[in-house]
Amino acid sequence: MSAHLNVVGQSVARSDGIGHVTGRTQYTTDRTFPGMLHLKMARSPLHHARIKGIDLSEAERVPGFVRALTAKDVPHNRYTILGLIGVEPEEEFVLAEDRVRFKGEAIVAIVAETEEAAFEAVSKVRLDLEELPAVFDVEEALKPGAPIVTHWGNNTFMYEGHPCRRVRLGDVERAFGQADHIIEGVYNTSPIEHAPTETTGCIAVPEANGRYAVYTNTQALYFSLDNTAIILQVPGNRLHFIGGTVGGGFGGKVDVIVEPIATLAAMKTNRPVKFSYSRSEEMQVSSTRSAWRIYLKDGVTSDGRLIARKVTSYADSGAYSRQTPYALTKHAANAAGPYNIPNVSIDAYCVFTNRPPTSAMRGFGITMASFALEVQMDKIAERVGVDPWTIRFLNAYRNGDMKPHRKLAEDATLIETMQAAATLVGHDLPDEFKAMTSAPRAGSHVEGR
Amino acid sequence: MASTIVTFEFGEREVEVMVRPMTTLQIVLREQLGATATKDGCRQGGCGSCIVLVDGEPVMSCLLPVEDIAGRRVTTLETITPAEGLHPIQQAFLDSYAFQCGYCTPGMVMTSKALLDHHPDPSGDDIGEALAGNVCRCTGYRPIIRAIGVAAEALRESDGEQPR
Amino acid sequence: MTVSSYFLPRSLPEALEILQRHGPDLLVMAGGTVAMPLINEGLSMPGAVMGLRRAGLDRIERTDGALRIGATATLTQLLDQDAIPVLREAARTTGSWAIRNMATVGGNLFTPPPGGDVAVALLALDASVILAGPTGERALPLADFFTGFLTNQLAPDELLVELRVPMTSDPAAWVKFGRKHANTPAVVTVAARLRWSGDKIADARIALGAVGPHPIRARQAEQRLVGTRLGPDAIAAAAAVATEDCEPFTDAIATDWYRRRMVAIFVGRVLEQLAPRAEPEGR
Repeated sequence: MSAHLNVVGQSVARSDGIGHVTGRTQYTTDRTFPGMLHLKMARSPLHHARIKGIDLSEAERVPGFVRALTAKDVPHNRYTILGLIGVEPEEEFVLAEDRVRFKGEAIVAIVAETEEAAFEAVSKVRLDLEELPAVFDVEEALKPGAPIVTHWGNNTFMYEGHPCRRVRLGDVERAFGQADHIIEGVYNTSPIEHAPTETTGCIAVPEANGRYAVYTNTQALYFSLDNTAIILQVPGNRLHFIGGTVGGGFGGKVDVIVEPIATLAAMKTNRPVKFSYSRSEEMQVSSTRSAWRIYLKDGVTSDGRLIARKVTSYADSGAYSRQTPYALTKHAANAAGPYNIPNVSIDAYCVFTNRPPTSAMRGFGITMASFALEVQMDKIAERVGVDPWTIRFLNAYRNGDMKPHRKLAEDATLIETMQAAATLVGHDLPDEFKAMTSAPRAGSHVEGR
Repeated sequence: MASTIVTFEFGEREVEVMVRPMTTLQIVLREQLGATATKDGCRQGGCGSCIVLVDGEPVMSCLLPVEDIAGRRVTTLETITPAEGLHPIQQAFLDSYAFQCGYCTPGMVMTSKALLDHHPDPSGDDIGEALAGNVCRCTGYRPIIRAIGVAAEALRESDGEQPR
Repeated sequence: MTVSSYFLPRSLPEALEILQRHGPDLLVMAGGTVAMPLINEGLSMPGAVMGLRRAGLDRIERTDGALRIGATATLTQLLDQDAIPVLREAARTTGSWAIRNMATVGGNLFTPPPGGDVAVALLALDASVILAGPTGERALPLADFFTGFLTNQLAPDELLVELRVPMTSDPAAWVKFGRKHANTPAVVTVAARLRWSGDKIADARIALGAVGPHPIRARQAEQRLVGTRLGPDAIAAAAAVATEDCEPFTDAIATDWYRRRMVAIFVGRVLEQLAPRAEPEGR
């Protein structure tokens, strides 16, 4: 089969390799344009506050100050990051209107001749803020009387009228009654910052034909272009988005945060405008992976079979949705793990707090669940008195098994992957596990394979 | 204070730049000389993507006012790239797949150059210590360390034939 | 920068003259590793700055029984000297290669905690600071130089010009504990130096970093060692009492309670490095 393969099975040099090792690869801000202006953002110093007033009079007097933009300058002042694929409501502002909901939220965009002038003008923006109580923990945010972060009255994303994603299979309570062991655990993960070596940034440049060229290191060129068109209320064909090599993304450059305001500034000044995050903005303001809290309650028989799993999980979306409601949906479908469990109940909440908004990162919605589930499986193994391989082989899902969200498993490969792992580390599995496959169980819904 | 003129050696040529006070070497290279191989990752001296050599020693160009290096020799990725082909360190990085996004690569290559100029036969510990100031968020560092070992061997074998 | 003036004096008299002329609004900078990040982020916007890199204050010389370290000698220069080995250890664990080529020994005294690792070693070595002003130079012990968080005895019209370390053959040891092995802020830094009289300790210095507003001496722990043979019990007791000598704080690197626990552990480890072995090497 490999007789006439020219690429598969070969070591092939990267097409951009020479550019990278010579430094000739061009990244977004490796460009400078005559007359280019610099945009720096005046941001909220408080976690939660009402904006009573903004005074720009001192900032405007800084030599090199060109223009300030506030909420009223933005034609459609809402991000619609996932609105284009039906995940709503739109609730995050390009520039804050009457309230700020996290420390670092953008309020005033300052455009100036030099970076130093922009920094100085930002430092002279006078914000009149009335501090409001803030909440930083997912369960605190769901208690009665908690400060409300959203504009719709509660701190959860609503899924078709429900405050959480709900998955039900069988009857967990009855199965707990039949179990020999009940094993519980609570698992917490922290927010994780992608920290790409290149920070988020873009340069918006007016072109001769009335279009705007926007050089950006977004991972999602069409998200960025479509959202910018909606926010600026211009047809998409007035925008010319140019991507290229991204200096590290990992999911952290999918949130379309810098292009709309930089393009608006280019429109208002008729000059190129650069908006590139400083390292501290990248740390503080750009999206992180969500922090997550997962409660697991498992019912297990004395011979190690999982007969019931109840999952209650809370994702910390921070102050705004970004992509977390979507992550949560993926998470809910997978939160019981790659195991064959006849009774499952999952309640997964997307919770809003006054932390910086969270969003995509590799393994989006699943990585935290894997951490919780696999530590839990080891706990179960210990309680039942078997080794960690055994507990997993006994409970591994196979093709044709009913997954908790009512889909039949296809392309299951947990068993084969564990067998390969055992070989790799030199662990000798019992013959029973060596002989196992992901083929459907006798009498399952699916034949063959 | 008005702008001043600063003269320094940029590779083999002498350059003269006019700068506002305390403009960093990083900004001079990237914005005035069009030499954008030197990158801009943090401006804190924490990531190493801005590393260049001054008189052969690695420095964080983002923390260095260009006035401070008047009359000195600055070496960057551009100045070690030959007119044709690649420097052995560049070739080793290419062959070892010692990059993914490429943003840390210029800094990594410059630190490697300084290391191999000082220690033509570095141990694993020497390499690790030398690279402590260069952050890579993509590769996990192993292919980079491997590349430096490959480059060291190539340079030792061809000692005297290749420009260092 | 909004910087309107950047001075790069070529001598100490020139530097002092610029300082006299501009007064306390002048930002004085040596290696730039503390000042430039703040300026680059727009957190510091000085009008006038003086850089000391070319002012000739960077010599390291051994004279009159002391190692005289110019204030703007870099950490790399400290790494290259072999007169006092523990200073090499302190320099090696600070920053990274490129940072060490720029950061200065004197500048390390002005680095906010948890920084200031080299100052911790200097404190354990009974270093003095030499300050130069319009009327001449004065010396004071480093232990008296720090007065609080980011405050010290440097007068507004003075510059730090030298660190003076008495040459010593006393055994000394150093450890820096960070969350990474290199290029990392400290959770705790410990430097210790012992003077023996026969098989008993006659005098001790234990300096701690990253567990107070500035590098500090663990004086109770020092006292606890005097008269002992530095056996396991004496080490454990000194390590325990050292936790009372410090005022740890919480930051992004570690919490105050964790730092206090680590003081005990790492004071113990440093003292174990200095404990007598079965065959003591010549002291």
